[in-house]
Amino acid sequence: MLNAVKDVIRKSSIHVCLINTGGCNGCDIEVVALLSPRYDLEQYGIYVHNNPREADVILITGAVSEQWRDKLIRIYNKAPQPKIVVALGNCPLTGDVFNQEGCSVYAPVSDFIPVDAEVSGCPPRPSEILAAILAVGPDAIAAKGRQK
Amino acid sequence: MILPVGPIHPGLKEPLRLKLKTQGEKVLSAEIDYGYVHRGIERIMEGKTWQKAIYLSERVCGICSYIHTQTFAETFEKIAGEQAPLRAQYLRVLTNELDRIQSHFIANSTYFKALEHETLFMYMLSLREPIMDAIELLTGNRVNMGWNVVGGVRMDAKETHLQQIKEIILKLESGYDKYVEMFEQGPLVGLRSHDVGKMSREQAIKARAVGPIGRASGISYDFREDHPTYRDHLDFNVIWRKEGDNFARTMNRFDEVPESIKLIKQVIDNIPSGDVRKKIDIPAGYGEWSNEAPRGEVRYMIESNGNLIRKASIRTPSIMNIDACAKYMLKDVATVADAVATYASVDPCIACAERVVIIDESGQERNFDGIHNIQLE
Ligand code: SF4
Repeated sequence: MLNAVKDVIRKSSIHVCLINTGGCNGCDIEVVALLSPRYDLEQYGIYVHNNPREADVILITGAVSEQWRDKLIRIYNKAPQPKIVVALGNCPLTGDVFNQEGCSVYAPVSDFIPVDAEVSGCPPRPSEILAAILAVGPDAIAAKGRQK
Repeated sequence: MILPVGPIHPGLKEPLRLKLKTQGEKVLSAEIDYGYVHRGIERIMEGKTWQKAIYLSERVCGICSYIHTQTFAETFEKIAGEQAPLRAQYLRVLTNELDRIQSHFIANSTYFKALEHETLFMYMLSLREPIMDAIELLTGNRVNMGWNVVGGVRMDAKETHLQQIKEIILKLESGYDKYVEMFEQGPLVGLRSHDVGKMSREQAIKARAVGPIGRASGISYDFREDHPTYRDHLDFNVIWRKEGDNFARTMNRFDEVPESIKLIKQVIDNIPSGDVRKKIDIPAGYGEWSNEAPRGEVRYMIESNGNLIRKASIRTPSIMNIDACAKYMLKDVATVADAVATYASVDPCIACAERVVIIDESGQERNFDGIHNIQLE
């Protein structure tokens, strides 16, 4: 019974924390565009703030730069369980154009923290980001919550 | 007390560490730590052909990605001593101004978000979406457009698309004053914005503030005035103000949008026919080129050996503006909330600003762009 109630609550209120670990900003801007009245992220019960301590979903945009190598895992640990990580854009998946000789990025992000979902694109369209969060978000959070 | 803000913080959109020295609620001074999104773009560019490096230049910054490719291409055109065909130049102006409008909207929306004025925040974002549609119509992409090449633009624009863009722009123009008035006359936003985060003209010059930030403090200069296409074929006014506070910076961006609309209308009405791309042979040499990005001057310095890039250096506007903010605007701000709003009013773009500058004790400045392991001791 308690679990069922928790499931409902977790599914209908998803807090998102956006972390740019060394990208070009393009993906972040598309997430901001999601807040606009056209896409209206909040009608799905998703709330974007940048507070890892309250986050259910951590959105990672950007390849991992030097400074983030130790900090990323610390921020990840600050988020409460259950949490899911969505890697947004080509940067966290492969390092995109930055992952070449002489760079200072350490992609992919999955080397540092576990990633639950990946959205490719440089940047992905807002509708794709939304679809990805909605597809994995509610159920994965509820399922992870039950495991605990 | 030292109050650290960031790198991940509800008040910041991008990773950066702001150290505010506070006394009670008052902010005495601020310090800024960069380095969270350093990717070493200039280093990666070395030894690449322009066809590869232009993608990198586009990804210096996602908000003003367009102007970076244009400046990159124009630097190579300068090295070769040639110009793109006139139609391509017009199309570049068109895209540049569309990009400027959307960038100003997102900058102002961030400021209103920092003031917790959700209504204007949402209005700005909803005004921005049609512009993004226009950009997509023209170039096929919303953010990283891949639209410029050395010697022109990648593809021609259809006449029907140009007319559709004009419709979008006219629609924006017809209802625009309402939103400006909401900000200009709004008593509460006014209280939060007037006389907050002031920077005088002398300070702006000392801090080398550029773009709308410098122009809001009285530096009446716009790099578009020197650009050949704007200078010879188009007509626009440089917007500048004297107050140098948060209100002036936001209003300056608001007022630049009608100028951009004016330019777009001129371009669509007068665009000449012809080629949009020509082949340019690039000799060995060194070239510099500046353009007015939405946030100010962006400068590319490129040395090429004819085929490959030997050395590239990029100077972006944000770094000067953020410095000006830390040095002058965040001095004696009344509250922490105002300090965050002041920071947002500078329109900081951290992805642009990531250049490594190491200053050793003798005061000599040396640039180490893109070393693999940065030793910060
Ligand atoms: S995936 Fe592309 S758009 Fe997104 S942060 Fe990386 S370079 Fe920028």
